[in-house]
Amino acid sequence: ENISNFSLNTTDCTQVVVPEEVFFTVAAAGILENLLILIAVVRNKNLHLPMYFFICSLAISDMLGSLYKTLENIFIILCKMGYLTRHGDFEKKLDDAMDSMFILSLLGSIFSLLAIAADRYITIFYALRYHNIMTLRRALVILAIIWTFCAGSSIAIALFSYEAATVIPFTILFPLMMFFILCLYVHMFLLARSHAKKIASLPTSTVHHRTNTKGAITLTIFLGVFLCCWAPFVLHILLARFCPHNPYCACYMSIFHVNGTLIMCNAIINPMIFAFRSPELRSTFKKMFYCSR
Amino acid sequence: MSALRLISNRTSQQALSNSDYTWDYEYYEYGPVSFEGLKAHKYSIVIGFWVGLAVFVIFMFFVLTLLTKTGVPHQDNAEASEKRFRMNSFVADFGRPLESKRDFSHQMAEESPSLFHFCINEVDHINKAKESQKGPSLESNTHFQEVPRSCGMFEEDLHCLTKFNIPNFVNTEQNSSLGEEDLLISEPPIILESKLVMQSSHRILD
Repeated sequence: ENISNFSLNTTDCTQVVVPEEVFFTVAAAGILENLLILIAVVRNKNLHLPMYFFICSLAISDMLGSLYKTLENIFIILCKMGYLTRHGDFEKKLDDAMDSMFILSLLGSIFSLLAIAADRYITIFYALRYHNIMTLRRALVILAIIWTFCAGSSIAIALFSYEAATVIPFTILFPLMMFFILCLYVHMFLLARSHAKKIASLPTSTVHHRTNTKGAITLTIFLGVFLCCWAPFVLHILLARFCPHNPYCACYMSIFHVNGTLIMCNAIINPMIFAFRSPELRSTFKKMFYCSR
Repeated sequence: MSALRLISNRTSQQALSNSDYTWDYEYYEYGPVSFEGLKAHKYSIVIGFWVGLAVFVIFMFFVLTLLTKTGVPHQDNAEASEKRFRMNSFVADFGRPLESKRDFSHQMAEESPSLFHFCINEVDHINKAKESQKGPSLESNTHFQEVPRSCGMFEEDLHCLTKFNIPNFVNTEQNSSLGEEDLLISEPPIILESKLVMQSSHRILD
């Protein structure tokens, strides 16, 4: 009966498998890109600003996510080759540690995005007092608090992942943070609109519509990328907890590896939409590469 | 993923006991799932989720675009605005706006009420900040002395926001080469008060 159920389960909604080469390529690209950003910020003294520290925090959490995937793949290969046993205690602890690394990456990403949005908000609305409000030390303290909280939560979630009490807050936190970030950006956006109206009153201004459309596109990209990359995984966690035996849920859960790949794609896209927009960072990269030749 | 394997093992009723921690891609631990008698397509959650996500993102984009529709500019403020702003690039070299400095001080006298009130509020804040803080007083002193120009700096901030190139708003060094391609718009930026920008750069560098 078990075997027949086996075949029933494996013929319908089989796991969608992403080739290992794709996994490794995407993960390696994500790790390299974010490592470059970290090196650039560390090396260039001009980039020792709160804004770039928050971008670094985002880069670190992206790197952790990709690193997790790479390590998991390596361990699976080692298991298949027989170097690691499948049921040992050491592997179980390693498993837990890597789960917490992954959840740490997710929480770190969310909170880093929130910190970047808040930093920009303060830059715009408290422009004159920005340097008193957001000093370097305060930025580092904020980052320390964020990462301590994320580390604690990730360990708790990984250890008690089967409890509904951890799954529900985890899945509520995600849309809540997104909504908050959206509100911050929309408020900044409204200010841009009022300002664009002033510019529009000038006789030579002809392209303000294009500007505002670009602002809408930028904001949509910011939030759309994050949503599309992380929401599938969050939904997976919800369904795995609440309806693992429902056939519809099981079919959704069969595309799990595609969701994992999406998360790694997020690690590649995030630097492009946050870090590489800074001309200072780009010039640092150029100097790094030209000097190395 | 091993996290979900953990979840599935504890929730599935017929979990295969000898596969508690398997490093595998197969998810047969979920136990028997009956696929008979499905009313809708079996991938309906997948399709529904992605369609819903796409619709939400597009809806958000349209809402944001609608927010950006600028109305008919006020005709009475048109000329005042014209005299107030000059078309200079924010990222241009700081030497350029020097010739416009004189005009700028004239223009500030004709500020619109909204901007003026905002500046007044900022001055109040600065005064309070100055009394309460003993920190880097350079900034508050500077702003206390140059009230109209601080409003000009805010205009510059607003302008950078319209470009939505927000990380680049804070200029980190005086001779950084910020090319035109970095701006979301290439057209009309606001006049730049060179002295203010230099002060802000010094503050940032300190």
